[in-house]
Amino acid sequence: MEKTTTGTVAAGTDVGYDLDIVKMFFTATVVWALVGMLVGVIIALQLAWWPANLGLPWTTFGRLRPLHTNAVIFAFGGNVVFTGIYHSTQRLLRTRMFSDTLSRVHFWGWQSIIVLAAVTLPLGMTQSKEYAELIWPIDVLITVVWVVFGVNFFGTLARRKVQHLYVAIWFYMSFVITIAVLHIVNSLAVPATWFRSYPVYSGLTDALVQWWYGHNAVGFFLTTPFLGLMYYYLPRAAERPVYSYRLSIIHFWALVFLYIWAGPHHLLYSALPDWAQTLGMVFSVMLIAPSWGGMLNGLLTLRGAWDRVRTDPILKFMVVAVSFYGMSTFEGPMMSIRAVNGLAHYTNWVIGHVHSGALGWVGMISFGMLYWMVQNIWKRPLAHPTWASHHFWLATIGIVLYTVSMWAAGLMEGLQWRALNDAGQLANPIFVDITARLNPFLWIRLLGGAMYLTGAVMMAVNFWQTIRGPERPAAEPVPVAAD
Amino acid sequence: MSKDTNRLLGHADEADGIDEYDNPLPDWWVGLFWFTVLWAVGYGLWYHVIGDRSQARRLSEEMTAAEARWPAQAEALAAAAADFAVTAEAVAAGEAVFQQNCVVCHGQNLEGGIGPTFLDDEWLHGGQAKDILTTITQGVPAKGMIPWGGILSPEQINQVAAYVITKNSEATGRPLGDILGSGEDAVPDPSGSAGDPVG
Repeated sequence: MEKTTTGTVAAGTDVGYDLDIVKMFFTATVVWALVGMLVGVIIALQLAWWPANLGLPWTTFGRLRPLHTNAVIFAFGGNVVFTGIYHSTQRLLRTRMFSDTLSRVHFWGWQSIIVLAAVTLPLGMTQSKEYAELIWPIDVLITVVWVVFGVNFFGTLARRKVQHLYVAIWFYMSFVITIAVLHIVNSLAVPATWFRSYPVYSGLTDALVQWWYGHNAVGFFLTTPFLGLMYYYLPRAAERPVYSYRLSIIHFWALVFLYIWAGPHHLLYSALPDWAQTLGMVFSVMLIAPSWGGMLNGLLTLRGAWDRVRTDPILKFMVVAVSFYGMSTFEGPMMSIRAVNGLAHYTNWVIGHVHSGALGWVGMISFGMLYWMVQNIWKRPLAHPTWASHHFWLATIGIVLYTVSMWAAGLMEGLQWRALNDAGQLANPIFVDITARLNPFLWIRLLGGAMYLTGAVMMAVNFWQTIRGPERPAAEPVPVAAD
Repeated sequence: MSKDTNRLLGHADEADGIDEYDNPLPDWWVGLFWFTVLWAVGYGLWYHVIGDRSQARRLSEEMTAAEARWPAQAEALAAAAADFAVTAEAVAAGEAVFQQNCVVCHGQNLEGGIGPTFLDDEWLHGGQAKDILTTITQGVPAKGMIPWGGILSPEQINQVAAYVITKNSEATGRPLGDILGSGEDAVPDPSGSAGDPVG
């Protein structure tokens, strides 16, 4: 039995939750995390040292890069969210999932989508839409599996044994609904063959729909569900009440309302009409406070638990995650300001920004959740408590190396591309010269990414040995690994 | 955070034991939110109404400023074209320009590679001196040839053209005068070796 203390009352009685499905998603999460991050390290090596492309079409950067993004976002990110949702939703609504069968159809459907992606992308089958590369038959499968998930999730909601819907559930709902809308609208296409299709949009409309989708994939796949996870697992791990219910309501509605308009900031200085560019820019800036609302509620929930943050790796992961969330949700709006975007766009700064969110926020909150969960679901103490701390430091230093090197590289690129000499000519006329100068930064980035991957490998080994280890005696209090 | 009530809402039994405080929104957070909202409205009004800004206007402003600061590129090119001449100094200087910028595609000895060779009779974009100058200056972006007009100075373009023309003449035996052209299009050949105008 999980139990809670300090400012909370005893958790609901055991109603026969389906923990097997949670364990299945948990396992898939760890496996895909390693795969996705390994491919990331490989393509980082390819950028620093081109022979790593191997001279084979299937292993070139152009094909492995979408494999990396799909694997970390939809395979790792997707499975980690499903792990948390299937666990916390049952407990928060005090009911078993609506249908065990649908749960399993969802699980195996999602894993088969990932495998199909891992086969088709290296073969060069793509729709060429960023984060929506998968060809139309896989898109159809995603839709079917998502509907299965949606029915299962809302069915559970309908059968809930509580009246009050906890804030995490709101975030999950926004995730299920919005991702369905985004995926279907952006993927509308007319099939030509089994492997090829033509989008129903053309030209500028296509670009606008694509970035409406692309930006909200960040917003509703990598932000709202993870905020939901934070709202459940952070107070559980800290054993503290949430700082402000009111703040959670206001920042939730502000976030979901404002996010959906921000996509055009990906198309500044393009053929998009000026008014639409302005819209994307100002909605991005207005997102700062709603995003920080989540950060504040996370950090302030830890009031009274800061002594434990120093020693408990789970809370350390969560604090760093929430801090990176706050940092990247400030950086993003700044980069969407026209003048800043003119400098930053198309440079490695964007890659650094994405990874401060992905490695810092999504990765770290996931690790915190997984370390908490492995001990609570399998009811075992961590096999190597100190490894969790090593993982934390490897990941944190890895992120710093990654983002700082990419900021430096991006600023250098942006400034050198536009620099003029005294005669009004380009100061760096040969593009490839600037590219060559990036090399030291690309090696530092590779080092940062490799450290992050090493930490994840340690986590996987730790989990493996924990799960195979002896069960914790029932009397022993829950988690908190020692440092 | 002095306004914090730290009063529990008592939802814990409905939320798996997680309770929530009824704390008010932090003032600075509310202030930040209002500031960004007002800024958004103000910026929109300034950009589209008061300042009447647009991408197109920004481009034309930047181009006007550039024209004022640097002599118009077209005039400079026209003036440079008039200066074109195949002299020993120009060829020597042109070789240096070629070695630094052109060998990657056109080869160490003009034998070609990614780009075509300059050692045969075939000129894909015109074999007259004026054509060659135009090709270098404007490039053939569709085929990967960079427009060097914004990169090399007009003088450097003249020099590298003189070098290429001289080497081509040596390799193919085509008279220099043939390449330099005749009539209105003719480019003066200071060596005087170009005798008969060839149509």
